[in-house]
Amino acid sequence: MTRWNANNDEVAAVSPDITDETNALPAEYFTSPDIHELEKEKIFGQYWVYAGHANAITETGAYFTRTIGDKQVIIVRDHDDEIRAFFNVCAHRGSKMVEDTPMTNPGNMGRIRCPYHMWSYDLDGDLESTPKSFEEAGLNPDLDDEEVCSLDASENGLNEVQTDRIGPFVFLNFADDPMPLAEQAGTLKTELEDMPLEEYEHAARYVSEVDCNWKTFAGNYSECDHCHANHQDWITDIELDESNLEVNDYHWILHYTHDEDVDDELRIHEEKEAKFYYFWPNFTVNMYGTADGYGTYIIDPIDEGRFQLIADYYFSSAEMTDAEQEFVQTSRQLQEEDFELVERQYEGLQSGALAQAQLGPNEHTVHKLHRLAQEAYEA
Amino acid sequence: MTSVSRTGQREDVPFVARSTETGARVEASSANEVIAFYRRQQELLDTDLEWEFADHPAVTEAPDADSIDAVLRALDDYFESGVPLGVLAAAMSKQGWTVGDTLSEVYELRMSGSLWEPRADHLRPV
Ligand code: FES
Ligand SMILES: [Fe+2]
Repeated sequence: MTRWNANNDEVAAVSPDITDETNALPAEYFTSPDIHELEKEKIFGQYWVYAGHANAITETGAYFTRTIGDKQVIIVRDHDDEIRAFFNVCAHRGSKMVEDTPMTNPGNMGRIRCPYHMWSYDLDGDLESTPKSFEEAGLNPDLDDEEVCSLDASENGLNEVQTDRIGPFVFLNFADDPMPLAEQAGTLKTELEDMPLEEYEHAARYVSEVDCNWKTFAGNYSECDHCHANHQDWITDIELDESNLEVNDYHWILHYTHDEDVDDELRIHEEKEAKFYYFWPNFTVNMYGTADGYGTYIIDPIDEGRFQLIADYYFSSAEMTDAEQEFVQTSRQLQEEDFELVERQYEGLQSGALAQAQLGPNEHTVHKLHRLAQEAYEA
Repeated sequence: MTSVSRTGQREDVPFVARSTETGARVEASSANEVIAFYRRQQELLDTDLEWEFADHPAVTEAPDADSIDAVLRALDDYFESGVPLGVLAAAMSKQGWTVGDTLSEVYELRMSGSLWEPRADHLRPV
């Protein structure tokens, strides 16, 4: 029985059994500002979150910034060719240090310098130098220069954030003692690392702001019950009956079988299918099966009612061919069709009429998404 | 609320701008929301915004002057506590200025003390 709010039906936690009536997250988890705040800590502060692509920063000192929730991080390649991440916050008095720098237009620096009082840090985060005024007490009549303690380089360095990679994909984790990325990713890691993903170049980025909760779009991405009615152009080449949706611990894979054989040149992976990977909490890898390249999505919340979809496309060269441009346009068409759907769904959810949705048997991927969210809130 | 335009465009939004790079559109009920959108985009993409539409009497009446100072002085009469940065940017777009053009010029002027910012993203002449 549908759980309308007007009937004062009790909502329940997401049941692990998809055949139960309460198999979905209660609607308020999509519309509440408190939940948005809670997610910053319980979801984006706990799990591995995608930062960006290693190919964007191939040279020593190359960097970009990434904001996750309220935290901004500098992702930089250090002198040992390692990619490291630091809070964009100075160890002196907490100033933001470098300007917002998108992955698509990375910066390069020999050292990280705070513009406020000119403390500067090595690319490995150690404090490299401070101006003389931090080594002498010239302006302070109560202190002798000898009484000024010198600052230890590593004790007063930047606040490092854990990073790890799946192929060229760089991930961050803010938790003190997180599960390893390899554990969160499971077979996703080996599967993606079997493909030559690092051989592809970033070719295009589209950023769209959409008026719905990020989980609303995540749920839309994860099921194809809406495809027949809403993606008619795309669906013509797909054999939905032979497709399937595979669920793992923290990721799920949508296998969409093509009805006719696509030229082998046009696929990175072996199978004659499109493979869409959703990696909890908000990253996807899109292996289209009809293009020699791949895409990624970041589904970043702005607030409880808005998110940004950051869509990146990778091909063999940064200069797209006509066919690749056309391909990106098809992908954009799919996005726009989905944006329409999720904004409409969200308008409905915001009315407060529905207390708890109910998922169908082929929405087991959405069920997984809702269960992971529930698990995170309760942790 | 801001949103990139979908196929079914909403007609009642007074401020509309689009990304010079990707064509992404923002439709906003206040001009400063366009500025907020610009900043969020800038963090992710090297792009600028061009105004498509700004339905506000101050923008319509703004003088055809290629100077922030002159335009700001004219707009100042319309607002009690500072001209919203977005309204100034929309007015400057009549001279072909992008949002990025206006923001960087405003920054220069502010840093030279030639502009007053009584509260965040609201400007008055000095
Ligand atoms: S806050 Fe960074 S040097 Fe002072
Ligand atoms: Fe879809």
